[in-house]
Amino acid sequence: MKKLVAMALSLTLAVSMLTACGGTKETKAETSAETTAETSGETTAAADGESLKVALCVTGAVNDMGFCQSAYEGLVLLEEKYGAEIAYTENLQAADMAAAFTDYAANGYDIVIGHGFQFGDPALEVGAQYPDTTFICTEAAAASDNVASYVMSCEQGGYIEGMLAASMTKSNKIGFIGPIEGASLIKIMNGFEDGAKSINPDIEVQTAWTGSFTDTALAKEAAQAMIDSGVDFIAHDANECGNGAIAAAQEAGIYATGDSYDQHELAPETVLTSSMYNVPLVIESAYLDVVNGTFKGEVKYLGMAEGVVEMAPYYDMESAIPEDVRTMIDEKIEAIKSGEFVVPLDENIRK
Amino acid sequence: MLEQILTMGFFTAFFSAMVRMAVPLIYAGLGEMFAEKAGILNIGMEGVMLSGAFCSFAGAMFSGSLMIGLLCGILGGIAVGMIHAVLSIKLAQNQSVSGIAINMFVLGVTSFFSRILKEGKSYQQLTTFSTIKIPGLRSIPLIGDALFNQDIFTYFLYVLIIVMTVFYAKTAKGLAFQAVGEHPRAADAAGIPVHKYQYIAMLVNGILGGIGGAYLVLVQLGVFTENMISGRGYIALAAVILGRYTPVGTFGAALIFGGANALQIRLQAVGVPLPAQALAMLPYIITLIALLGSIGRSNEPESLSKPYIRGSR
Repeated sequence: MKKLVAMALSLTLAVSMLTACGGTKETKAETSAETTAETSGETTAAADGESLKVALCVTGAVNDMGFCQSAYEGLVLLEEKYGAEIAYTENLQAADMAAAFTDYAANGYDIVIGHGFQFGDPALEVGAQYPDTTFICTEAAAASDNVASYVMSCEQGGYIEGMLAASMTKSNKIGFIGPIEGASLIKIMNGFEDGAKSINPDIEVQTAWTGSFTDTALAKEAAQAMIDSGVDFIAHDANECGNGAIAAAQEAGIYATGDSYDQHELAPETVLTSSMYNVPLVIESAYLDVVNGTFKGEVKYLGMAEGVVEMAPYYDMESAIPEDVRTMIDEKIEAIKSGEFVVPLDENIRK
Repeated sequence: MLEQILTMGFFTAFFSAMVRMAVPLIYAGLGEMFAEKAGILNIGMEGVMLSGAFCSFAGAMFSGSLMIGLLCGILGGIAVGMIHAVLSIKLAQNQSVSGIAINMFVLGVTSFFSRILKEGKSYQQLTTFSTIKIPGLRSIPLIGDALFNQDIFTYFLYVLIIVMTVFYAKTAKGLAFQAVGEHPRAADAAGIPVHKYQYIAMLVNGILGGIGGAYLVLVQLGVFTENMISGRGYIALAAVILGRYTPVGTFGAALIFGGANALQIRLQAVGVPLPAQALAMLPYIITLIALLGSIGRSNEPESLSKPYIRGSR
């Protein structure tokens, strides 16, 4: 009987380790074996005739249907389009990042990518020891001779949403809900506020942080609190837990915008548009910079001009938005793309 | 700022929010209390709720019926509750270890299946249970809307609290369930089938926990998102202790937690010049203060989380 319990418990733990927290490193032997099997047939020459070895490090699982998966898709794109030799390590904890970077650099990888701001410091540390390897971090602030950070200008999407919100509101009160206060999320909130104030300087912008990426019910309650006090447009950058904000807007019969991916289907008569971030394009552009010799050790911003930040279509809601508002927003997007207008970047919390 | 807060409108809306935030905690809290009074500590309540939430979403999405969704949610809660029951009753294992393992296990399983469910498909939010207004009572100022303009789950809760209070105070069965948690050997000697009662307690635990999770999906959100219980299962454990193992106490404690959370998010929205993190601490600070008030008066069942093995000493 005791044995049975021990077996049942260890099985429970093993399954949950596999699915929930992972924690173990994907072994390189396994990944490279599977990648070579895939590449052998369809290898296309890189732009300048040689194929580079590219490694990707992510903090979660590469099939998380979100943040990490989008970077993995970029990596696979490099393999399919440019014949790069790829490898990846998933479920990295902060303590293991430098070790993973060192591992790849010592094994002769040309480009090592860390997806997430947490990789900034390990990149600088390992980069100093391996000057021949190029380190790329997304959403970080690290830069040195062979280390660069590629940051998505998500505030541009926030700005456009703010303009739309300020144009659609009747009560002149709009709301924005964020998950956890991080620089890359604060800048979207501030972009939203700036965009709204560019239409109406006296508009009231209510903001709230749920303090969680997963507490969907609290995000709804935050939106409900705003709606109770007269807000009639809700925007968010709270990923999945932003679903709660959209649910509150749908119930109240007001408009909302989505974030990260096209959230139109969730509530077709509520979501006017969504900000979408094209991570594979970030990975591709970093790769091309290295291949073409245009790489610089700097913090590089990629936005609407590069196609990294996009607005989702209006679908059936197009008729709900006045034509002059749509024209104005299209013109602003063009101005942002051409560089004629620069959305202010502010990563500090406002109160 | 203050004139924005000190209005009837603000407080009416706040009390409604307080009840909304508290309902899943009360269901889970009552389920947990029922199990703990019979001597079974279920730290896996978070997992029970998460399973209830996921199964109710999957059931309602595939069948298109909220009632079938609710049924699936209850069954999902029972399934997880029964894993804990078998481990802690039949196999007499450490209940804390089993509970924690269950939480991790259910988080992994529900995340895994929700990805399969959503893969390559876009989906719409479910239409949720609608509110039922009780005429007359709902026009009471301040609390009328909060208590009598809610959904069927909230009204059922009022009945449940009364039934459970009477059950423990007035019936022989209620006393028997408490005896099992206080002194299982004495209960056994008196002819009470201890293990059977503990299984029944875990069944109730699974049902109520499952409803608590399903409430979030079927009444509040209409969607399932990964790890959406976000610690409510643990808060329910605290609500039981704070409520001194009584149905009414658990109800009150859950209202304090729900109210503190509803208040902090509302204060953020009106723009109180305090950091969001400081406001987010509010529910926990209130808990600590409330716990100080109950020092020295332990109402914990004597044999809580001690497995009962017949004939052993």
